Amino acid sequence: MDDPLAQPTSSQNSDPHSGQATAERYREFARLGQGGQADQLSFKLVVGLLRRGFPLLVPVKKPIIWLIVGWTLLLGLGFWPGILVVQAFSNGVLNAAPLSEAQALLLFLPPEPFVGVEHLSAELRTELVSQMVLVVTGFLFFALVCFLGLEYLLIYILQTINQNLRVDMFDRLQSLSLRFHSEQRVGDSIYRMFQDSAMVTRLIELAFLSPLRHLAVFLYSLGIVCIWDPWMALVLAFGWPAVLVVSYLLSRALRGGFRAARETNSGLTAQIQEVLEGIKVIKAYSAEAREQARFEEASWTAFDAARVGRNRFVVYKLLVFQMVGLLAIAATGWGVWLTMNGEDLFASDLVVALGFAAVNSGRWDLGFLTNFRMRFDDGTTSIKETMNLWGKLQDVAIGLDRAFEVLDLEPEVEDAEGAAEMPPLREGIVYRDLSFRYEPDRPVLRGVSLEVPAGCITAVIGPTGSGKSTLVSMLLRLYDPDEGCIEVDGRDIREFTTESLRSQVAIALQENALFGTSVRENIRYAVPGATDQQVTEAARVAGAHEFIEALEHGYDTELGERGIKLSSGQRQRISIARAVLKDTPILILDEPTASLDAVTELKVLDNLGRWGEGRVILLITHRLSTIRLADQVAVIQAGQLVELGRHAELMQLPGGKYRSLVETEADLLTEAAARA
Amino acid sequence: MTGSFGSDDRQMTNREVLRSFVRALRYIGPFRNRFLVKFGFLFIGFIAMLFLPFPLRILIDQVILDIPFAEQASRFPTFVQPFVALLEGASRGEILVAVLIAQASLLVLVGAWGISGKEKTEANGGLNNGWDIATKTENEANSGFSEIGGVLGWLDFRWTIKTTQLLNHHYRSQLFSRIQALPMTAFDDERIGDAVYRLMYDTTAIANTCYKILFTPVAAPIHILMIVAVMSETYGSNTPMVYAGLGMLLVAGTLTFPASILIRRFASRSRTTGATTTSSIEEGMSNMVVVQSLGGEKREHARFSRDSEASFRQFRYRQLAIYAAILAGVAAGSFLVIFFFRYVSEGIIEGRFSPGDYAVLASYFGVIAGSSIDIGTIWIDLQTEATGLQRVSELLDAPAETDRPDAITLPRIQRGVAVEAVDFAYEPGTPTLRGISFEAKVGEVTAFVGPAGAGKTTAVHLIPRFHVPDSGSVRVDGVDIAGVAMNTLREQIAFVFQETVLFDTTIEQNIRMGRPEASETEIRHAARIAGADEFIARLPEGYQTRLGHAGGKLSVGQRQRLSIARALVREAPILILDEPTSALDPETEQRLTEALREASRDRVVIVIAHRLSTVRDADQILFMEEGRIIEKGNHAELIRNPSGAYRHFVELQTRGVA
Repeated sequence: MDDPLAQPTSSQNSDPHSGQATAERYREFARLGQGGQADQLSFKLVVGLLRRGFPLLVPVKKPIIWLIVGWTLLLGLGFWPGILVVQAFSNGVLNAAPLSEAQALLLFLPPEPFVGVEHLSAELRTELVSQMVLVVTGFLFFALVCFLGLEYLLIYILQTINQNLRVDMFDRLQSLSLRFHSEQRVGDSIYRMFQDSAMVTRLIELAFLSPLRHLAVFLYSLGIVCIWDPWMALVLAFGWPAVLVVSYLLSRALRGGFRAARETNSGLTAQIQEVLEGIKVIKAYSAEAREQARFEEASWTAFDAARVGRNRFVVYKLLVFQMVGLLAIAATGWGVWLTMNGEDLFASDLVVALGFAAVNSGRWDLGFLTNFRMRFDDGTTSIKETMNLWGKLQDVAIGLDRAFEVLDLEPEVEDAEGAAEMPPLREGIVYRDLSFRYEPDRPVLRGVSLEVPAGCITAVIGPTGSGKSTLVSMLLRLYDPDEGCIEVDGRDIREFTTESLRSQVAIALQENALFGTSVRENIRYAVPGATDQQVTEAARVAGAHEFIEALEHGYDTELGERGIKLSSGQRQRISIARAVLKDTPILILDEPTASLDAVTELKVLDNLGRWGEGRVILLITHRLSTIRLADQVAVIQAGQLVELGRHAELMQLPGGKYRSLVETEADLLTEAAARA
Repeated sequence: MTGSFGSDDRQMTNREVLRSFVRALRYIGPFRNRFLVKFGFLFIGFIAMLFLPFPLRILIDQVILDIPFAEQASRFPTFVQPFVALLEGASRGEILVAVLIAQASLLVLVGAWGISGKEKTEANGGLNNGWDIATKTENEANSGFSEIGGVLGWLDFRWTIKTTQLLNHHYRSQLFSRIQALPMTAFDDERIGDAVYRLMYDTTAIANTCYKILFTPVAAPIHILMIVAVMSETYGSNTPMVYAGLGMLLVAGTLTFPASILIRRFASRSRTTGATTTSSIEEGMSNMVVVQSLGGEKREHARFSRDSEASFRQFRYRQLAIYAAILAGVAAGSFLVIFFFRYVSEGIIEGRFSPGDYAVLASYFGVIAGSSIDIGTIWIDLQTEATGLQRVSELLDAPAETDRPDAITLPRIQRGVAVEAVDFAYEPGTPTLRGISFEAKVGEVTAFVGPAGAGKTTAVHLIPRFHVPDSGSVRVDGVDIAGVAMNTLREQIAFVFQETVLFDTTIEQNIRMGRPEASETEIRHAARIAGADEFIARLPEGYQTRLGHAGGKLSVGQRQRLSIARALVREAPILILDEPTSALDPETEQRLTEALREASRDRVVIVIAHRLSTVRDADQILFMEEGRIIEKGNHAELIRNPSGAYRHFVELQTRGVA
């Protein structure tokens, strides 16, 4: 507490563009998946998301226009013959009434015996049935093919949107600084990419495309019902707002339920993953029973949440259906009543003109009733479907704010405007009064100043967690400093493009990440064009050549997920080879030899020493044998540079940190040597 | 390693499929009462469906066409007659009102009023947010459905979802406990994802199969029979129509086989490309440091974009295959529909049926045809579940670490551990350990030294029985551990692994895992010895800091210290440390070495180390090479041999420092 640097200064807090503020946002972001946002998602937000989603349609506007044209044509074409055929069947076949001219025309029947007679004979009715079967089947098949074609087009559109989104998100995630990635689980990022991009796509479907389709059906239906009976059209039109009110009232509960279900489920998956990753420890500590209990509890929590959410959804759907159903029953009753009394249709002239009925017969009958019922049902169904869409939209909206948030995140480390290519390093690197913290109250580096000239190996040593790794990471601009700067040949590295900076740095890390490709590809990762010979050469320097050759397929051996089949020492050497191959003026080795046995280590370091002449080499290590190689030693403690100098100089400092570190080790060694 | 529960993507034979179904039926056992009730709901739905078309028939025949009940060509079935009796003698207006009331009641009760599927709703709680497997299986894991809607449908839904969840929970828990009991050789990182998949996604196949196996083959024929019975009562026999309906079974049965082969081929390609996409991004994300530091962003972008596009394309091909199958099915089925249509139309023309009967017959034909299609496709339908079922069964059957029935409780260890002539191979033919023997006594520190890959880690894994020797034995106080209850053995061992494993709980809870009943003072004490107390104190939340996934932002050394603290707090008589100090600074290491010496007074301490400083003071040093122990003795003894491997090792480390 008495260390002023441990407290965030107020200026940093108030500056929204500082690293601190960004870090705060990242953490905010990390929390998003964990709930608390559901209740803030309002109707307005959903509308806002729609506005956000709209630009995604632009790249596919052409296919979308085709889709809309297709739907309209298919629907329009479907209605007219549909009504005619139902009419012909209900009246002609069932009731022996004559056909209208239009009906006869559509069914490819001669008008002569079918139109204008009093009653159709049994033979004519049978003939009508045969003809109808042929025409209707043909038409339906044609319509089905068109429909499937449009479905395919829809899928294509949605996939294209999804692909664009995924790639955008992938790029965005790649450009975010490591500070972001250290806040996130890998699985979370991946889940987000796949799930959220799918969800945005789904939103587009639910919010833009499907409603269009339902709206079209609704309008067509409404128009036709209006011809039959405008009062019923009015009822149908007012069914909408009634259902909308119910939806609006229930939508918050729906969202909350969905969100809880999603969270508990992903929590459960994470928990299982963790247990399996740590199974060794669980077994070693006989913690199986405890983990079992924890699992069962989490499992039920997830199930309970899912049940609550789904129950709400079902109740919502059933309620909407009840309302819509009552409307439809009432409309049927009204239609039957009119038919019973033989009332005229509202626009009977129009009906006749469209060929739905023979002349002078624009009156309610079985055929018109059937058509009325069918169109009214179409209308109510589209209301129901739209409301189901609303319900689904609630489900989708939960993940959406997150999805867009990824796209909105500004990379913390970004090239400054007019950033230049970094010229090849000549003189060296200077750390100037560098401070950095991951979290406001946890400073990692405090005012470090250090000169690292070219042609010189600098060893960075210090206790675990003192900030050594962070110090070298900053040279790569994996993070930007909160205060101070790093200069290369006298210029702040933030003046250069990140790409040109990183192209001059090679790094071998403490934790060795390998890719699921061959050994050769792994070594070649930084220099895709490297020849096989260069790869072998780099492997030799890294002391990896011998064991690679001994592998069954040599350099072509495939490495499993995260290179699991190799020992950590072998992985370490491959990542050293990768760094060596990059052949850059700056080489960073972060505990490069921690997992190597003494013989191998010595060999690798020897090689590196020879190879590294004329380069800036930064070496993080614990081992004295490694430190010995260095031209200067920087001792870091609790984020501060406490000692700097050559091995011999530092040994002279009485009570020096370095000296005491060396003595601890050397005592033991000299003693061992003496005994030998 | 082939692994003990790996299954490749090969096709199952029909026999295997059948066997897995029989097995699935056994899984229902504990839940049979719940399933019986579900059957009850199902039959209520059937009866409602039988009743449903009659109000409409009355509307058409009696209200609109004004045919008196008495003159109707066909009769009413028994269960509709009470309703008809009410209406007899009523005016058309009254009948209309009565029918509307009946329809409204049906709507409230079972959520249906008309005759077709369109005028009916089902209480189905499936969510809908993407095409990904996670959502799909989440829907399956919480599958609640009902054939009906309304109040009854809602009750049915609630009952079903609870049943599904109980079943899933039951088998997930079983599977989880089984996974925990698998021998450690079953796990490498690749298998973890697979196991999660089995646990979370494949288990849902059990409930799904149970529903499908029970309901379609049993319930669908009953439904058909009920309809045939009602029809023969109402219309006499209508055999041609029934045959036409049943003909759907034939159409569905013959078409689904070729179609499903086609679709399955495309689906499997689609899955493969999907998996490629996932793993390519997973790699990129996990290795973000490497990607960013080596400038691999563009390459990762291209790779991801290509893989993702390919997976979408495969999905579209699959979709096209499905469309082709739909068209073929519709084409074949339309003949049967045409037959039905003509049959009924002719009946009406001939006066055998009234226009209202059309509603009834169409509805019934729909049910017969639909149920027939269900039966015809059941085998194919179940196939998709079979793979999941088998993957679950495989895991349930995998050989687990179990105690022998006569396993004894191991008393607190007094003397020590003895390994006698143990051979061990992960894979047959490439032995990892060859005839190793050693003794580690209470009161001594035993150190393993040797080059990487010599088998040191495998050797110490024998002691907690992580590996069972192929030959030879491991004895604790003279008792062969093969005959000891595993819990009582592992309770007495504290293990620090080479790769640290921490859990996403607080620091305190992570340490406490060593001994759940440890007091706070004991935890702090252990942390101090492990050199962790200092950095923990610097954290804003101290011991209550939550670590995040796999230790999150702690450095490797900090994580290592926590795992050492966890072992120390256990106070077990055997303490095994696998390279505990590789990432520690000399100061911490020094402290730890002293602590180990201290601890070894009443314990067996076994340590694997590279550093001389850790090894030097050991009472016994075992030098391993290529699976053998080639030198044994204390530092002074071993160093005396001028050509010894250990001496060589020491010389390399000390060269030039002194």
